Amino acid sequence: MAERTRPAPGPTTYVLRVLVITYLVLLVIWPVSLVVTNTFANGDEALRSILEDPDLVDALRLTAVAAVVATAINTVFGVTVSLLLVRTVFPGKRILSALLDLPLSVSPIVVGLALVLVYGGRNGWFGPTLEGAGLQVIFSTPGIIMATAFVSLPLVIREVVPVLQELGDEQEQAARSLGASGRQTFWRITLPSIKWAVVYGVVLTMARSLGEFGAVKVVSGNVLGETRTATLAVEEKYLNFDQEGAYAIAFLLASVSVLAIVVVSLLRSREAHR
Amino acid sequence: MSVQLEPRPPRLTVGPAPRRRTPSHNLTRTSGIGLGLTMAWFSLLVLIPLAAVVATAAAGGPDGFWRAVTNEQTAAAIRITVLAALSVTLVNVVMGTMIAWVLVRDRFPGKALLEMVIDIPFALPTIVAGLVLLSLYGNDSPLGLQLANTGWSVYLAFLFVTLPFVVRMVQPVLEELDQEVEEAAASLGASRLTTFRRIVLPALAPAIAAGAALSFARAVGEYGSLVLLSGNLPFESEVTSVRILSAIENDNRATAAAIATLLLVISLLVIVVLDVVQRRVARRG
Amino acid sequence: MSIDITGVSKRYGDFVALEGIDLSLPRGQLTALLGPSGGGKTTLLRIIAGLETPDTGSVVIEGKDATRLPVQKRNVGFVFQHYAAFKHLSVARNVAFGLEIRTHGGLRPPWTPQKRAGRERIQAKVEELLALVHLSQFADRLPSQLSGGQRQRMALARALAIEPTVLLLDEPFGALDAKVRKELRDWLRRLHDEVHVTTVFVTHDQEEALEVADEIVVVNQGRIEQVGTPDELYDDPANDFVMGFLGETTTLGGVVLRPHDIEVDRGPGRAGAQEAVVVRVLRVGFEVRVSAETVAGEQVTVSMTRTHAKALQVEEGATLWLSPAVGAATVPSMPVRLRDGVGA
Repeated sequence: MAERTRPAPGPTTYVLRVLVITYLVLLVIWPVSLVVTNTFANGDEALRSILEDPDLVDALRLTAVAAVVATAINTVFGVTVSLLLVRTVFPGKRILSALLDLPLSVSPIVVGLALVLVYGGRNGWFGPTLEGAGLQVIFSTPGIIMATAFVSLPLVIREVVPVLQELGDEQEQAARSLGASGRQTFWRITLPSIKWAVVYGVVLTMARSLGEFGAVKVVSGNVLGETRTATLAVEEKYLNFDQEGAYAIAFLLASVSVLAIVVVSLLRSREAHR
Repeated sequence: MSVQLEPRPPRLTVGPAPRRRTPSHNLTRTSGIGLGLTMAWFSLLVLIPLAAVVATAAAGGPDGFWRAVTNEQTAAAIRITVLAALSVTLVNVVMGTMIAWVLVRDRFPGKALLEMVIDIPFALPTIVAGLVLLSLYGNDSPLGLQLANTGWSVYLAFLFVTLPFVVRMVQPVLEELDQEVEEAAASLGASRLTTFRRIVLPALAPAIAAGAALSFARAVGEYGSLVLLSGNLPFESEVTSVRILSAIENDNRATAAAIATLLLVISLLVIVVLDVVQRRVARRG
Repeated sequence: MSIDITGVSKRYGDFVALEGIDLSLPRGQLTALLGPSGGGKTTLLRIIAGLETPDTGSVVIEGKDATRLPVQKRNVGFVFQHYAAFKHLSVARNVAFGLEIRTHGGLRPPWTPQKRAGRERIQAKVEELLALVHLSQFADRLPSQLSGGQRQRMALARALAIEPTVLLLDEPFGALDAKVRKELRDWLRRLHDEVHVTTVFVTHDQEEALEVADEIVVVNQGRIEQVGTPDELYDDPANDFVMGFLGETTTLGGVVLRPHDIEVDRGPGRAGAQEAVVVRVLRVGFEVRVSAETVAGEQVTVSMTRTHAKALQVEEGATLWLSPAVGAATVPSMPVRLRDGVGA
């Protein structure tokens, strides 16, 4: 649609453009840039002191571990579910596909509460049994991973399903007619075709996982050096009047997110040019 | 889910065979195992815990539930949250459509940057989002606008975190929209405003509705961005999520579950709206 | 026989796609499944391939019952209507796919002699096939960099690579423009004469079927209307559907026949000639098409050469006497029959 020459933009176009830019500057661009300037108000001192604080390094490590594990789980889960939803018929498929979007619209605090009610060590539904078996979920890393996996669950599916639908199953049928088994068809034909969708999904899941706060706050118990994640550390620093520290961690987290967005949009535009 | 859908159009019995190439096969053994495993995980992670919330709320009986959600402070929090979420959704419907329009139809240097800016609120950790807003609207605001620790902070935080939803739903539809239809309307004498109102808007309506539903759901459950920004002042800037959290921290699970159930119902309603809207769009083709 | 189909039926819900199909195709023959879209011919092809399972009946390929055999075990080459090119693989890798799947180097690492021998064998075979379909210079391109016709030839080479027992093609030229279509048609005929594998292709284009196939199977509304060589079908159609599907028809005195098989006179004389008044005259190149109405109220279309029309002074309002030519193929007309898709 871009090929055609358009009439010269009228006054409405300029009014809209100015309005939109002003809105975005006030709501997003200016505040985000202030975080950057606040972080570097005293040079890179704030950042360095963060990376030298062993408790904070622990928090960053826990955040990374939880995000990587949750992303791995959600990727395998998401690709499997997408294939099932698009390529097979089973009863209850429609309800499942609607329910899969639920985690995106549930409050993080409710997510945390839900997990505590089931896996809480004292009086959760399964918690006491699991603790009897030596597995503590709530106030421990598994709980943090579950909370993280919950909130980012649909992201891979939302990227992969439309691509699978658009792709159709002709290539898969062709592979099977040439003698490929189900597994060979998946690894050699299906996966390479949905590769970029999976990559987008993984990047988005990762970004979402690194930043989860509310659900993690409920399930973690915020034990220093053990169950404190980076986002929890931001809150704590700020409330302890260490604004500079809070801005520094926030900057770290924000740069990872922004990097993720840049990566995704570069991949997307590359894909569009193919 | 008891969604009443319109009856499907009757299928023609004569004519081309229905091409049911996808999905072409029923469950094989491998996909059966796959379905079993994924459903087990989905249940353990999502369905059973959410059921536990509802069960815990129900255990208190209707009276308990009613008492929990009509507690003076809780009721105020719900009122503040819903009112702010509704207003912000309304703003998003207008601003989001405008932003999508500018991103698709306008051309100017720096547009690619704006494109990325839209996604920042989605990717940014919510606690960082709060901090980000504090830097411009906090106590030493360069603008002189001190919104932190006031009722307005709730609106501000909601606007920030829900920015992408309407934009990202409307944008692809607008891109797909055939401009020839608009030109046809113009050739029939319609003014630009009439064309927009009568031709473009109806095409965008399902996407706008879906985006609005998502943005409302997100706002109603929001927590992270408010922690540092709003000050959680009861009757002024304390939202529903915060009430649930304080109930959890006071080990008052029945109350927490009751309020959480209320939020869950809203989430479910949103899912239903989305499902219906998407099906209608799919049918229209 | 290479393919034996007995009593095959297939339904999709209420829709009957195929009903009681019996068909035997000899080895090495090039067969066309011809019919209007939605008539069931693609479903039949997919059942032969194993991409669909019949509700009843059996499919025997080269003497072995294949009815319950999944597609990957049937060793059929299937060429899809839209090629189903593996978009992420080069042309050569597309062609090599079936061979790579079949190589049993076991778990040996790739540098072992066995594996290398396998690789070299595949490479040689791929080169040979690409030469056969004239795509040698495009071996390293991606499918997206090929034209429609080239993609079609790649799909064909890919299907041939596994040395299939039967080669099945679903509307092989359907997505191509007219000129490329004609070229590929001739080329497929020559290729078949060279490779000589039992081949079945689906088409809705009667010209394509008449020109390329050894034998044509006319499929309509889930049933086989007629099986025969192009000449048999054209000269001796089993019913008015087959007749109508293979070319233009008109009715004269209760029989269906071709517009060029009608004798035209300016006066009565021939036995059984019917009087008709010319309604419209249309000149298309060397041909003149005359619409006339008989005294019985029948609308007849007659086609004749320009010279002939001039000699007879055919013009609107003129009175003609029309009769079927001697030896013309005719079938009784059955006006209630559905004629969907004729001439598509």
